[in-house]
Amino acid sequence: MYYAGVDVGSRTIKVAVIDETGRQGIASGICDQGVRQAALAHNLFDQVLTRAKISRQDILRIVATGYGRNAVEWADTTVTEITCQAYGVRQQVADVRTIIDIGGQDSKVIRLDERGIVYDFVMNDRCAAGTGRFLEIVAQRLEMGINDLGGIAETAVRPSIISSMCAVFAETEIVGLLANEESPADLAAGVQRAVAKRMVSMLGGRINGPVVFTGGVALIPGMSRALSDALDRTIVIADTPQTTAALGAAMIAGAATERAERSNRPVSAGAHYLEGIR
Amino acid sequence: MSCCGNKKIEKTSSAEPVAYFQGQVGRSLDYVTRAKSQGKKVVGMMCEYTPRELIMAAGGVPVCLCGGSADMVEPAEQALPSNLCPLIKSTYGYSLQKANPFLEMADLVVAETTCDGKKKMYELLGKKYPMHVLELPQKPDDDDAFEHWLAEVRKLKEALEARFATTITDAKLREAVVVMNRDRRLKRELAQLMKSDNPPLTGRDLLDMRSLVAGMPDDHEQYERASGVLYGRVITPSPGSRVRVLLTGVPLPHGAERVMDIIEGNGGLVVCQESCSGIKPVMEDIDAGAMDLMRAIALKYFHLPCSVMTPNEHRAWQLEAMAREYRADCVIELVWRTCLTYDIEAQSIKLLAEETMGLPYLKLETDYSPSDTARIVLRVQSLFETVKGRCHVQR
Repeated sequence: MYYAGVDVGSRTIKVAVIDETGRQGIASGICDQGVRQAALAHNLFDQVLTRAKISRQDILRIVATGYGRNAVEWADTTVTEITCQAYGVRQQVADVRTIIDIGGQDSKVIRLDERGIVYDFVMNDRCAAGTGRFLEIVAQRLEMGINDLGGIAETAVRPSIISSMCAVFAETEIVGLLANEESPADLAAGVQRAVAKRMVSMLGGRINGPVVFTGGVALIPGMSRALSDALDRTIVIADTPQTTAALGAAMIAGAATERAERSNRPVSAGAHYLEGIR
Repeated sequence: MSCCGNKKIEKTSSAEPVAYFQGQVGRSLDYVTRAKSQGKKVVGMMCEYTPRELIMAAGGVPVCLCGGSADMVEPAEQALPSNLCPLIKSTYGYSLQKANPFLEMADLVVAETTCDGKKKMYELLGKKYPMHVLELPQKPDDDDAFEHWLAEVRKLKEALEARFATTITDAKLREAVVVMNRDRRLKRELAQLMKSDNPPLTGRDLLDMRSLVAGMPDDHEQYERASGVLYGRVITPSPGSRVRVLLTGVPLPHGAERVMDIIEGNGGLVVCQESCSGIKPVMEDIDAGAMDLMRAIALKYFHLPCSVMTPNEHRAWQLEAMAREYRADCVIELVWRTCLTYDIEAQSIKLLAEETMGLPYLKLETDYSPSDTARIVLRVQSLFETVKGRCHVQR
């Protein structure tokens, strides 16, 4: 028997499957988000199962998360990505106290107390500044791939000063800076700093370690260093930064089942899932 | 679990007297129109610092003009900066559209210097409507603060007497104090029903059980009935399984109840609302037997813990007591976008909630537009998951 988590994010959809011990990741997959998100999530789910040679009947329970969580009608329940992210990251870094998650159009900070319980969280509001989309826009403007940003940023001499408040205005600023012949390297480094600075203000000066970095942006070279410099502390990148929330969702599915079996009652209502969440 | 924030919580519409208040705007309008035709003066007000007793003693009907309509924000932005709180914009938008019949009927508007945005908006409004502005002291703990406020309240009395060619006698003042004390007591008693393990009302029901005109006799009759009728009543879904929320921060004017609905549509129950649309303005009564009635009236309003005051420690004490009495599971603070005083004070409230009360805290910053509903739902659901997770660990 297996458990699955489906994370329907703003830019990508992620699926993670774990075994019945509720701990071991078996398979995972990622695809781009689109208009028909329910179908995309379903296709990805099927692909992941096929690859792992698991049949649908072997999946005991599914938890959906992410902005599009309600599109996954075939899931047993939904849990927010804040809780799933905390669950998934704790699996990889047991004593994690701060999670910095930068996704496609969303960035957030989750603080956990010494017991690993979510203490509070902050999320960006209304603007894609400080998210993966922001970096994408800049990379496009500099005529390079998003993964090349980090490499070129390392050669920067004087990182440019770029606004971290609005993605669209930042693009306009970059056009102006390019006209002033600032180098793409300085611009790339500047933009990474802008994202890092945005996260620092979201953290509000209260940071406990270990700090774990998740989300697609954690995979972009140089970003964790920019963050680490801005925060002046060590940052750990999660083992599978893009799929930690999906993993957490699968683990919540597993934990709910285990509890139900122990107490000899069915997993029915959403409340039953929440009971075990910490 | 509800999938979206616009899911309406099950209304208790069949049960009087909750249902009675559904038609409060129309009834307030009838009441004010009738009063006006009988020669009474209509006085618009925008803030709970405004002493209604003085207006009533001057033969006026005080009516709340705070705008809660998102539709009125856009017209206001033609004149006001878009980067301004929605309550100010909506209130002003009504005046531009001539869409608030109470404002159009007003013989006087009594405004106040709470925040800078309101203050300057009143200057614009004052060009079209007769206006009196009350200056609030900003440092309530200073020795001379109360005397300054008392002088302002006296100036309002003189202004009302001059404009309406009347004399505000002690007898009339006392009569008004008695009516408003009763209004506050009844509202307090109603709010206290929420202390129960299974409150007979939702927070939204309670929010709706007030009128734009305070102190209408028919309302009082309904409040009297309500405490008896509602006691022991059961609402669905069962309140016992819901997260008990202490909602604090800015007021929710009529039409701007979205955040309340999101909280209660996603597993929460607002057991206490510490804001000017909640129990904040009805916490204290006026000594109707006081020798110096003007001083007694001024004192009640002086104690209102608004974020425009510095420091505003009274709010912290009150919140702490409310969290205890209403057995809140968490604190949600609502801040209308660009409301600087509440937004900055939120830092202290967060610390107070998390460290002193030991409760999870969430600040929601939004405006009247429904565009960020999905984001607010996510935050509220996450908070409730945290609350439930903590309960589990503690067990």
